[in-house]
Amino acid sequence: MSEQFSRRDFLKLAGVGAATTAILTGCGPASRYVKREPYMQMPEYNYNGQSTYYATTCRECAAGCGLIVRTMQGRALKTEGNANNPLNLGKTCARGQATLHGLYNPDRVTDPVKRTRGSASTTAVDWDAATQVVADALKNNKPEEIAFLMGMAPDHLFDLVTDLANTTGINAPVRFGALGMFESRATLSKAAENLFGEARMPFFDVGGAEVVLSFGANFLETWISPVSYTRGFVGLREAKTKLRGKFIQLEARMSSTAGKADEWLPIRPGTEALVALAIGRLASELRGGPMPRAFSSVDPLDAASKSGIKLEMLEHIAELFSGSHVALAIPGGSALGQSNGLTVAEAVLALNAVADNFGKPGGVYFSPLAPNQTAYQSPASAKEMQDFIQKMADGKFKVLFVHGVNPIFELPASLDFKGALKGVEQVISFATFPDETALESDYVFPDHHGLESWGYQRVITGSNQSVLSGSQPVVSPFYNTRATVDVLVTAAQLAGGAFATALPFKDEVEFLQSKVAPLMSEADGFFSAADLNTFMASFQQYGGWWKLSDGRGVPGTADVLNRNMDGAEAEFAGEGEFFLVPFVSPTLAEAGANKPWLQELPDPTTTVMWNTWVEMNPETAHELGLEDDDVVRITSEAGVLEVPVYRYPAIRPDTIAIPYGQGHTAYGRYAEKRGVNPTDLLVQHFNEAGDLAFAGVKVKIEKTRQEAASFPP
Amino acid sequence: MIRPEEIKLSSEENGKWGMVIDQDICTGCQACVAACAMENNISFVGEEDSGYGRAMHWIRIERFWEGEYPEVKMTPRQPMLCQQCGHATCEPVCPAFATVHSQAEQLNLQVYNRCVGTRYCANNCPYQVRAFNWRDYQRPEPLSNQLNPDVTVRRMGVMEKCTFCIQRIHKAQDQAKAEGREVQDGEFTTACAQACPASAIVFGRVDNPESLVSQLAHKGHGVKHLEELGTLPNVTYFKGG
Amino acid sequence: MSDNKTHADHGAHSAEHFREKHLMLDPLPRGQMNDMVMESMLEKPTWKFWIIFAFLSVVVAYFLFYKWGVLIAKGQGEAGVMRPDYWGIFLVNTVFWIGISHAGTFISAILRVFKAEFRRPFTRAAELMTTFGLVQAGFSIFMHLGRVWLFYWLMPYPNQRMLWPNLHSPLTWDLLAITTYLLSSTMYLFLPLIPDMAMARDRSTGWRKNFYRILALGFRGTEGEWTHLRNAMNIFAFAIIPVMFSVHTIVSWDFAAATRPGWSSTIFGPYFIVGALHSGMGAAAIVLAVIQGTMKHMKYFVRGEHFDAIGKLMLIISMAWAYFFFNDYMVQWYGGDKWTQQMLHFHEAGPLGWMWFAMLICNIAIPWAILWNARWRATPWLIATVGIAINIGMWFERYIIIPISVTINRMPFTWRLYQPGIEVPMGIGTVALFILLYMAASKLIPLIPVWEVQEGQMAHELKKFGRETVVSVSELE
Repeated sequence: MSEQFSRRDFLKLAGVGAATTAILTGCGPASRYVKREPYMQMPEYNYNGQSTYYATTCRECAAGCGLIVRTMQGRALKTEGNANNPLNLGKTCARGQATLHGLYNPDRVTDPVKRTRGSASTTAVDWDAATQVVADALKNNKPEEIAFLMGMAPDHLFDLVTDLANTTGINAPVRFGALGMFESRATLSKAAENLFGEARMPFFDVGGAEVVLSFGANFLETWISPVSYTRGFVGLREAKTKLRGKFIQLEARMSSTAGKADEWLPIRPGTEALVALAIGRLASELRGGPMPRAFSSVDPLDAASKSGIKLEMLEHIAELFSGSHVALAIPGGSALGQSNGLTVAEAVLALNAVADNFGKPGGVYFSPLAPNQTAYQSPASAKEMQDFIQKMADGKFKVLFVHGVNPIFELPASLDFKGALKGVEQVISFATFPDETALESDYVFPDHHGLESWGYQRVITGSNQSVLSGSQPVVSPFYNTRATVDVLVTAAQLAGGAFATALPFKDEVEFLQSKVAPLMSEADGFFSAADLNTFMASFQQYGGWWKLSDGRGVPGTADVLNRNMDGAEAEFAGEGEFFLVPFVSPTLAEAGANKPWLQELPDPTTTVMWNTWVEMNPETAHELGLEDDDVVRITSEAGVLEVPVYRYPAIRPDTIAIPYGQGHTAYGRYAEKRGVNPTDLLVQHFNEAGDLAFAGVKVKIEKTRQEAASFPP
Repeated sequence: MIRPEEIKLSSEENGKWGMVIDQDICTGCQACVAACAMENNISFVGEEDSGYGRAMHWIRIERFWEGEYPEVKMTPRQPMLCQQCGHATCEPVCPAFATVHSQAEQLNLQVYNRCVGTRYCANNCPYQVRAFNWRDYQRPEPLSNQLNPDVTVRRMGVMEKCTFCIQRIHKAQDQAKAEGREVQDGEFTTACAQACPASAIVFGRVDNPESLVSQLAHKGHGVKHLEELGTLPNVTYFKGG
Repeated sequence: MSDNKTHADHGAHSAEHFREKHLMLDPLPRGQMNDMVMESMLEKPTWKFWIIFAFLSVVVAYFLFYKWGVLIAKGQGEAGVMRPDYWGIFLVNTVFWIGISHAGTFISAILRVFKAEFRRPFTRAAELMTTFGLVQAGFSIFMHLGRVWLFYWLMPYPNQRMLWPNLHSPLTWDLLAITTYLLSSTMYLFLPLIPDMAMARDRSTGWRKNFYRILALGFRGTEGEWTHLRNAMNIFAFAIIPVMFSVHTIVSWDFAAATRPGWSSTIFGPYFIVGALHSGMGAAAIVLAVIQGTMKHMKYFVRGEHFDAIGKLMLIISMAWAYFFFNDYMVQWYGGDKWTQQMLHFHEAGPLGWMWFAMLICNIAIPWAILWNARWRATPWLIATVGIAINIGMWFERYIIIPISVTINRMPFTWRLYQPGIEVPMGIGTVALFILLYMAASKLIPLIPVWEVQEGQMAHELKKFGRETVVSVSELE
């Protein structure tokens, strides 16, 4: 590739004019190799009053939706969904819309800094020094003493560090995110492995089903890929080719998703496996034939009495599952965050076996693997994080690189990530925001914001097609930040030796091209090109590359029902009288608290803004003498929180629920000192797959004298 | 009894741009609210003011509870925005002509720099969709980089409300005019409809029987809110269920 | 007149008794009366007067003007208004003060037209209430504007862009009506003041002499001047009555012409006028009691008969108000609109239900319980207390109509209770300014239109028919 070629050549190569007038390719802020032109020959993205549009990938969660960003005169003005991207087909969620409030947030990290851990004051360092720090950290430590902790998204940075680890022997990068923890992703793939022999992310074809039975999966809020599951939900409801689909949700607290269900069944936490098996048994009975081994030991009457769901209702659901309907059962959310979460996942997937929907429209599939992916890569479970933290505390890691994750906030305080950091000599954060973990790091070398970055991201689930979403900078970096890939590549060269050979790239774009280039030879692509530059131009123009065919896998069905399943109730940690259900805030999710407009979106169920609350059945509140806004003290074995009460009519009287997303001690002015973090209450209590049993905690409630501020003018 | 379709309406009252909202598939995810705020430079008002009913949402999603535990239900989510009434109650009461009916677009306009802040229009709006700038809300730098240059930034003391993204209407019309054609149905849409992951919001020409929005609106089970007041709203709701 | 019959019933009452009871029958030499009025005005203020004056000045400066500055600088968010209560106490106060202002015209113009003789000593006091009350109303409505510095956009003034106010809007009518009323009532205050100014001019020295000379407009008391003055006053008295009725009707249309449940009521016009008179008469009673109790010689000019007469008017108006209130309530309730019914229920059973009951007690129960008794009616402090109760009740009535009613609208999702903020101190500021203006006026102009009293006394005569003493009144004009 030539060192520099002009923007016009680039356009010619890309063939933009023919393809679209609106979406431009890698010119503008994205063009590293563009010559600076004189003022009189301004590129069109600088014209007054003319908008230019760039395709990129949303980084607000790990789903990987495609975005089109409207820019004008070098400023990003509005994000829209990328209609080409098969994952979201032009749609976005609220967090995708508010991503600009992250880009132009007044509290970003503006320069690379060095700090004494825990101190707010910093000394700025220049990027040369910063790169040298990284190079020294790589060079001066043994490979096994170097660790990377990264966000959940399987992106190009993850691939780069994985390559680095494979070549040099440093620890393989660990991906973690609170969303993955609350979705129990490890449990889902483990259940698939146990039942079908393949550890993959299942895909539930909600849109094709006639009956959907969801065990706590909040797929219309934040669950794995909410935009695409919402599209599925529309397919379920819209009466185009079939009757309007029925949707039943079982969970102790009516989530926003359950609010859209035809039936919400307040199941007693811990009895989900029992109920799933009982429905399986009743449905099998209705079907006739020999009782499958999986359901043979369960007693539906017992399940009804323990779960608090009427037997008639169980029979009714069983009827839906046994009949001619296309029925689909989804395990998710708090149902999997129990000590027996894996059993729940297996039992619910087994229900699909009764409905015989594997690999059929309206049934369970395996999500397609992304184009440059050979196996599903599950993010780390809480148990794996516990091991990781133990190694940190034991001083096994001398240097820890943190990127794209805020473990001090996202991990339960009881795992004590913050304490374990003391065992790590050098902590280098690549955070764009001064979050809690960046505050406890020795260095913060800020990465660009997602909209200023190159990259790609594998789409885990949500589309029938195999999708690699591509990112490109839509605006020039606003601050003195630098792409982490660039920092690592340069540092590897400086460090020399195995590092230099592992990352023989000039910069991020070259690395990216090396990763994307193999797709040119793949068939069935949305576009193809003979040379790399054209291919990359289209990759940027369309916001990624995807296959045209249905890439979903069909789970093997042979042995699903022919196994013992245990309907024992889950075990709960703690002595309190209330089940605690922490749930991810549908508007904020794990990283939205720093964006003012996300803070000001009303919670879909309670309409609360800017704060945390604890949801409590009005009956319970009455018994405890509590009104709205009274502050209660909630005690678990792990910690204590004080939260204002919200009397929530749709929650079991023995259950309370707290949204996750607030309670930051750092992370910018809009997030700080606002609300509480329910993970402070979570104890080290895991399910069989190693995911945190976040819904397996019992708590005590005490009234305090305080009342939360209500707001007269 | 006179059925609504039997009433002869002038072209002005018939409306031009309209919306259909399917409450059955609206999931209440707030994407429209966020999209609207980003498109239209709406100020965020902070914890205290939003807690006191001063949030400036141009579109809000209403939900109600029905019944008591355990038979409790959430009613279908109801996105509520300016209904762009044909006979708008906000228009005649403004003493300064700050809220007027657009002859060209058949929309209820809000002329920000003519508004003196009597708030009569908001009081008289049966849909309660008008938002007042109670203060000069802060937008710390560099957040203002995100502001949409096509939309006026409002200051303290003026009323504002949903415009059906009139800046997008004009842009599409200018584009079509430059190309010597009519604006096509679905060529552009409002920010809320564009973002909606469920595509529960459909926007278009209600005076064009061929458009998607007209066809949906005439499906029969559409409802217009508070139609009995004679406001001739241009937003049709499908109640769902 | 009406007094004849009442007094005839007393039969054996002596002329002495009549003189004691009735100002009109108790003439003093004109020079002495003029001196009494001048003395009451020129009396050196006591330290109490100055303390109250200073205190009220501080209240006005801080609560009204400083807070208003804050409100303008920081926006309406300082007040308690929000969705759905876009109008709050500022509008309550506007309606309240316009209501107060109605008593002045009613007493002065209507009683003048109907030649009710008891009006004579207190027409001035009532007219001052009109003007000063309207000042507060004007302040209150301007406080409420989001961008008050652009208030003139509501006026029809010639401008390059040919932008005119919207004549469809009740607020435009409102502004026109209030402005008309303020101008006409100020002139109507001024006309009867001219002879008194001339009287004061002839009896004062120094800056006051100049002040009164200017205001007296060279009035010398010639027959021609009196005739012109009488004609002008007659024209104004008749003309201002429809203005008065129209003003509060138009104020009521701000609500009645809107679509909100609880506002869209066809009877609001007369209901508001009666309500205005109710609070206005109450306020007149308070003012009169204060004047009589605090100013020199006023026990001569203001007597039990005047309180008695005002008390009777208050009782009648209270009954009329009760009729309109229940009529309005019944018709709204009977209409069966579900939102209106919810709203009516919210009035009584909502968190501010106490206010609804307090309104009924203050406006109906207390007046009816006290004002039926002639002796109680003639007791100044008691009638002033009733006046205070009525004013509290009428303020509550406006509070119920504005912020409480709009809490319940047709979009239940937005229902929210209004919590006042800066409007409370600013409202107190308007009360303080009203009192302050009154105190200043009491030292600058004669509060008793002494020429009117003298005129009345000239017309009244006691005659003896056998053993009976009777009152005869001669027609003057």
